[in-house]
Amino acid sequence: MALCEAEKTFVLHGVEENFRVDGREREDYRPMELETDIVSHAFGSARLRLANTDILVAVKIEVDVPFPESPHQGKIEFFVDCSANATPDFEGRGGEDLAVTISSTLSSAYSSSLAFDLRKLCILHGRKCWKLYVDILILECGGNLFDAVSLAVKAALWNTQVPFVKNINIDGNNVEINVADDLYACERLDVKKAPVMVTVCKIGDKCIVDPNAAEEQCSVGSVVVAVSGNKFSTVYQTGKGSLHPSTLIESLKLGFEVAKRLDEALWETLSQIQPDQDVGFLK
Amino acid sequence: MPVDHKRINGPDETYPYSLYAKTNKQSLNEKHEDIKRTGQRSDSRTFLEHRKIFIKTGVVSQAKGSAYIELENTKVIVSVFDPREIPNRPDYSLKGEIYCEFKYAPFSCNKRRLHIQDTEEKQYSAIMKQALESTVCSHEFPNFQVDIYAMVLHNDGSCLSAAITAAGLALAHAGVPMYDIITSVSLGIQQDNLFIDPTNEEQSICLYPRTLDTDHGNVIISKLHMHNQISQFYQSGNISLEKINEAIGILDKTCEELVPVIQKYLVKHVIRNLKDREAK
Amino acid sequence: MPHKIQIRLASQRVNTSVSLNQRYPKIFTPGETITAQNEFMRGHGTYEDKGELKASVAGVREQVNNLISVRPLKSRYNGEIGDVIVGRITEVQQKRWKVDTNSRLDSALLLSSVNLPGGELRRRSVEDQHMMRQFLQEGDLISAEVQNVFSDGALSLHTRSLRYGKLGQGVLVKVFPSLVKRSKTHFHNLPIGASVILGNNGFIWICTSIINSEESVGGFIQNLEEVVPRQERETIGRIRNCIAALTQSKMMLYDTSILYAYEESLKYSVPELLIPEAMVDVAILTQHRLSMLEVA
Repeated sequence: MALCEAEKTFVLHGVEENFRVDGREREDYRPMELETDIVSHAFGSARLRLANTDILVAVKIEVDVPFPESPHQGKIEFFVDCSANATPDFEGRGGEDLAVTISSTLSSAYSSSLAFDLRKLCILHGRKCWKLYVDILILECGGNLFDAVSLAVKAALWNTQVPFVKNINIDGNNVEINVADDLYACERLDVKKAPVMVTVCKIGDKCIVDPNAAEEQCSVGSVVVAVSGNKFSTVYQTGKGSLHPSTLIESLKLGFEVAKRLDEALWETLSQIQPDQDVGFLK
Repeated sequence: MPVDHKRINGPDETYPYSLYAKTNKQSLNEKHEDIKRTGQRSDSRTFLEHRKIFIKTGVVSQAKGSAYIELENTKVIVSVFDPREIPNRPDYSLKGEIYCEFKYAPFSCNKRRLHIQDTEEKQYSAIMKQALESTVCSHEFPNFQVDIYAMVLHNDGSCLSAAITAAGLALAHAGVPMYDIITSVSLGIQQDNLFIDPTNEEQSICLYPRTLDTDHGNVIISKLHMHNQISQFYQSGNISLEKINEAIGILDKTCEELVPVIQKYLVKHVIRNLKDREAK
Repeated sequence: MPHKIQIRLASQRVNTSVSLNQRYPKIFTPGETITAQNEFMRGHGTYEDKGELKASVAGVREQVNNLISVRPLKSRYNGEIGDVIVGRITEVQQKRWKVDTNSRLDSALLLSSVNLPGGELRRRSVEDQHMMRQFLQEGDLISAEVQNVFSDGALSLHTRSLRYGKLGQGVLVKVFPSLVKRSKTHFHNLPIGASVILGNNGFIWICTSIINSEESVGGFIQNLEEVVPRQERETIGRIRNCIAALTQSKMMLYDTSILYAYEESLKYSVPELLIPEAMVDVAILTQHRLSMLEVA
């Protein structure tokens, strides 16, 4: 969809006026919808819907050998699937670039041990560790993917239950891991500081968050900011344009503030989740 | 995983033995302590000092444009090829595109790299594309694509920024219309120490936090000199807003310092070409 | 002061249905037999199989004399001559523009069916052909009328009236074509200070009030300098969100329903209208007022 000049002008003036096309202010988000624990084969899962963007995240856990350079750490791997269900543009290898960008930004954001501590996933130093496979499926693509994906990933990791290791038997080169028999004896992951990403989009001279499809077209450049706690864990500039240094700093500030609000909102929602709520795709 | 059978491949999983060697191994923490104490880096630079640069164009004779850059031990070669029609694109686009491929040579790092691009290389390719996209006048070659290949011959830190700077030079050498000269600089952060143009070792020092709640990480910036615009910014690790601000300021300045080197080289290159023509 | 970020749980999702105990019509599914008698004629959404008339889409049955058709809720736009549409130019070709009108095939706007500057009944010269992109280029929005339907279902449009032409600053909302109620006029200058074009094809254009329509001559001019003032912008935003609310509850869109929804929505601020509860509330209140109107 291409916009005409007049529509772009209307969006642009709206952003300057701090009254966007749907009435939002520059720092406002559209309402989102979240549900967790919806994939029974996964150890943790979440689905997030932001306007037309629909993200499903499932976490699988497997036993692996730690990297020799970091024998005390577990592993986490992000895999983004831009399925052609979302838009026909993703057909074949069309979505690959986007998928690589999102997954590498995610792994960069989760790479610092201050953001997400992989040491807790180590079972036996240098021998055995848990590996988290975080599979992200983009079911529908309505813009603002980074923000939606990061929220869904955080919610899925929050929901993830790591099996409790009862004891370890070492017999020469063989390591035997005994997992607790009780299905409910699981450990939750600590995701308090897991990063939340905000895409700050520059339109005209101003910056906005959560752009809709029309606003994304008017943007000259954007910055994806991943915030963990009160620090930046990743900043990634996207879009064709370039930014003035002062604009960059300003958008970092804006992204930081918004990410904190977004994180608060997510925690509030997560705390409301009751077990066994009647949810699912069709409800 | 696709395997190229024409090449000799080792076993699926191999690791350099040095990871297991205990001798002569000072931990990164100790190294950082040393640096902090002496205020001098292992190659006796100050913290905000960029390494010496060597650049040269025309190193790949069959490419339209090419450049070679050396930051002491970091060696990168970049070649730019003639515009060609954008492959696999049914509709006509008014703007041209660039395609970037960033690759480590198999022998360039401590660990052997595979011949196919891994995720890190793919990510770096995307960052390179982001950096170069805004400096190329893409409306000058509609529906065409310029291919840029960067190959790291020796990795001693700051490869990506070296590749971007070299790619800017290679584009200029290829005669691709550009808005501006592009320079790129990396920076590593560990606690209060900022390392401009970090070596591989310094990058590893910045990879992990020393204590809880310290700043650590790596930042890369690419700048268009005349327009005073940042065309690419990438940060990883865990850094506070104030530190990022400080880093942007320092990187901005260092980028500016690199510009005369590139400019001087380009001017020299033109003069030499003119002389060659006169001689003919 | 930015508004609170809303992340809701799926279990708290609101029911968007507003129907008031109405009897649901029977819904036919593809392959279902509508009638075995063969005195009926086959209309849209049906096919004949061994003498039986069957549905080919999921929807409700409609009958005009002995023509039976099945009308689906969601469908691409089926154009009819005389429909008012809003469309977007997708391609400039020789002597014609291709227009996206939400129908199965791209519609065509012939160079000969637009009013060119400088006299209505002028011959189209070669210069005009070269100038086509200056009149309308890719991405531009137009309002037009369906002039003809080709045999393959593609539409031919015309803008030979002062009402039609290129659209200026405003917002486009896309809804299901079946939700737009057919009426005498689809151009509404609402008394609340905004103007709405309800395209039969489900594209709805909202812009500031057109004060004097005689001024727009064929309309290839866009005023990009003009800044829409805050108050009008709020009205446009509110109408946009009201239409979204009505659409979510599958209510018909026409001037009265939009106006009522606008009035009922006034107790909310414009951004609040993005919240599902508020949207349903507005839809229910509007439905209520509309049913009162029917009774009276």
